Amino acid sequence: MANDNVCAAGQGPLSGIRALELAEIWAGPFCGCVLGDLGAEVIKVEAIQRIARGSIKPPPHASGYPDSDPGERPWNRSGAFNALSRNKLGITLDLTTPRGADVFRELVSVSDVVFTNYAFGVMDKFGLGWEELRRVKPDLIALFTPGYGNTGPYRTFRSMGMVIDAITGHTALRGYPDMDLSRNSLVHHPDAVAGATAVFAICLAIHNRIRTGRGQFIDLSQAESFMPHLGEVYLEHGLMGRPRSRRGNRHPAMAPHGAYRCAGDDQWVTISVSSDEEWRRMCATMQMPQLAHNPKFETLPARLRSQDELDEVISRWTRQMSRYHVANTLQEHGIAAGPVLDCGGDAYDDPHLQDRGYFQVVDHPDAGIHLMSGPIWKMANRCEVRHEPAPGLGEHNELALGDLLGLSHSALVELEATQVIGSVPLEGADMGGVRRAAQRGLRSAGD
Amino acid sequence: MPQLALDNVRALDLTNGIAGGYCAKMLADYGAEVIRVEPPAPAAEKYPDIDRAARAALNLHLNTNRKSVTLDLEMERGRELLFDLATRCDVIVESMRPGTVEGLGIGYETLAERRPQIVMTSVTPFGQTGPYRHWSYTELTLFAMTGAMHREGLPNRNPLKYGGEIAQYFGGTAAAAATMSALVGAAMTGLGDWIDISILECMAGHPHQIGRRAPFAYSGEPDLRIEPRTSSAGGREPYAVGTFRCKDGYVSFLPLGPRMWPNIAHMIDRPDLMSDQRFLSPQDRTDSRAELESVFQAWLDQRTRMEVFDAAQRAGLPGGPVLEALEVVDNEHFRERGYFQKMDHPDYGALHYTGLPFTLSDAPRSQPSPAPRAGAHSRRILTGMLGVSENEMTALIDQGITSDG
Repeated sequence: MANDNVCAAGQGPLSGIRALELAEIWAGPFCGCVLGDLGAEVIKVEAIQRIARGSIKPPPHASGYPDSDPGERPWNRSGAFNALSRNKLGITLDLTTPRGADVFRELVSVSDVVFTNYAFGVMDKFGLGWEELRRVKPDLIALFTPGYGNTGPYRTFRSMGMVIDAITGHTALRGYPDMDLSRNSLVHHPDAVAGATAVFAICLAIHNRIRTGRGQFIDLSQAESFMPHLGEVYLEHGLMGRPRSRRGNRHPAMAPHGAYRCAGDDQWVTISVSSDEEWRRMCATMQMPQLAHNPKFETLPARLRSQDELDEVISRWTRQMSRYHVANTLQEHGIAAGPVLDCGGDAYDDPHLQDRGYFQVVDHPDAGIHLMSGPIWKMANRCEVRHEPAPGLGEHNELALGDLLGLSHSALVELEATQVIGSVPLEGADMGGVRRAAQRGLRSAGD
Repeated sequence: MPQLALDNVRALDLTNGIAGGYCAKMLADYGAEVIRVEPPAPAAEKYPDIDRAARAALNLHLNTNRKSVTLDLEMERGRELLFDLATRCDVIVESMRPGTVEGLGIGYETLAERRPQIVMTSVTPFGQTGPYRHWSYTELTLFAMTGAMHREGLPNRNPLKYGGEIAQYFGGTAAAAATMSALVGAAMTGLGDWIDISILECMAGHPHQIGRRAPFAYSGEPDLRIEPRTSSAGGREPYAVGTFRCKDGYVSFLPLGPRMWPNIAHMIDRPDLMSDQRFLSPQDRTDSRAELESVFQAWLDQRTRMEVFDAAQRAGLPGGPVLEALEVVDNEHFRERGYFQKMDHPDYGALHYTGLPFTLSDAPRSQPSPAPRAGAHSRRILTGMLGVSENEMTALIDQGITSDG
């Protein structure tokens, strides 16, 4: 079903849709790049007063920049930022000024979607809450995704993915069962879920608008979008009358089920055996057929009882071999096994991701040529989706405000002179939260 | 009167895993008519008592708002009925091994010839192409290969899976987004699509993975498991980062950098520390993190999770309680928002189900219905929608091609 046609940006199921992104960190920016992959024109709105593109004055040789060199415009060279900003246009607007907010309203009047993961109340402080946005563009679709949603007692609470992970019950399920939860890693996965759910929500609202002609407001709580991913855990607690215990890599109905050390430094393979029949095949694959008849391991209940010993036996076998060799050998016999791969070199070297063309050569004007991640799915009737490089700060001010809104050259010069727009962050622009910027704006507006 | 958002969409659910099932659930929960096709005689569990509640819970969760039709797809008549059903749908969500739908006579090309606007979403662990397309998988296999597992856990121990079935649900959410986008495309152009979802690729393209991969591509920065309280970003108040014990459980914090030092000092009632020479700069505080952590911990030890939560919010610090499942159900905020839905099921009684992942201002919430018994809607759909006669229906049941749940 691969489609070899490569075509220009802007083609795809969301062709003709224009979306404004007011977003930072993970949830909102991820939604934006997927909408961009789908052919929407996504305009990321930033401000030279405050940018979330890493430090504006990183130390020399800081990692995460091309060849560890932040360069003259580090804000355009941050790896993490650029990865999350594919397939978007980028403009700057100081929304804390009346003029900046007015220009934003003009953009809204020619857009279909506004989405933001700013904290609750920030858009209202800009004077750009839902009621105002709807007044400007009656069939607009707006999605606001603060951590806890737009209503309820916690709506104003500070939250990050890590905290949502805790309050939804996921943190309590993570970690080594023999260790205290205070040894747990930092996991911010709910951000990502909110971002993917936002794409679904926005497409659903567009689909609905085709039928009804009406836009709508989408209240997406990052916590509530993640909780269905644990849906069975709440029901299980209800059915059993006690919470699920922490399992580490183990599973209550599969054994062996774990990560096993392989030859090399910090190399691991995971193996999951889901039936007695698979276990016998695994014993044959390990060339230890006698193990299949060992009563300690013969049946699932027996293997669940003898897991420590079982893991020892398997580790002795795996640690002689490479993780790929173990995985390939077991998979040839239909047993679920896979290498533990890191996000760096391992992912790039993986033959499957390579074969599917997941990585793409991207030439970024400020960051150079690198192999970057592509879209997360394929559509048979659409052209191959290119990863267009992340916009530089304010790169498309002229395109969006001049060509699209029809502002004159002198108007753009005036906006730049008054720092409503720009392409170089102001001193101190990487300090302070959005909320603080909004408060500063209210004060400067004499409020 | 506003209608349910997707009440003009009919979907066929041919899934047997979490990712495909969750994709179909998202459509169903927003009002699509989703018809699940199941075998009339499911394979018997060899160890029915092991993990029984968890299996029941998963079925109850994934299959809300479904209609269930049973069909034996080994039989020609079963496949004919499947084809008839498929050509009356806007969406097919399937999670069978690559090549299987074609063998059943409902490959995308075949269906699109009849119904060009049809959207088929194929949700598989590794996708329709590539060397792993026939590989076996569990959550553990997938999660290991995505990049997320390698950095979960401690540096000197084995890497860890997250709790739950995270990769599969994420793949299912992406599949639902892809499906919805193709429905928009179909509504605009009349042409649907065949979507190839690889759960592995969804997780490889997860924002955290691409956010970690780019620094490697740019400057070779490795992606390693790290000790807690040693923020890799440096200078992020590491003594207050992560999960901590408190009086009645655990709490998690993620201060957003050195600017939050005053918030932390005020929260723990120690503003005096701000002028302490040992803790002036972010580097000082990173160097003295053990000392600061013990001050922080001593304050936490005197307080319950909800007391800490309250203090954190007053101080403007992102922090919150680690809750267990039913504590989440009972939480004041989620209760106030009416999030969990209490539903009665004839076999399992009243339970609290997770609600909608988002709400819409212009479409009402659907009245949720619990997971149906297999075949609960066979008769209504086969006779009502496909025009099977009552006589044939009886014969189909006798031959085991369908069942009446």
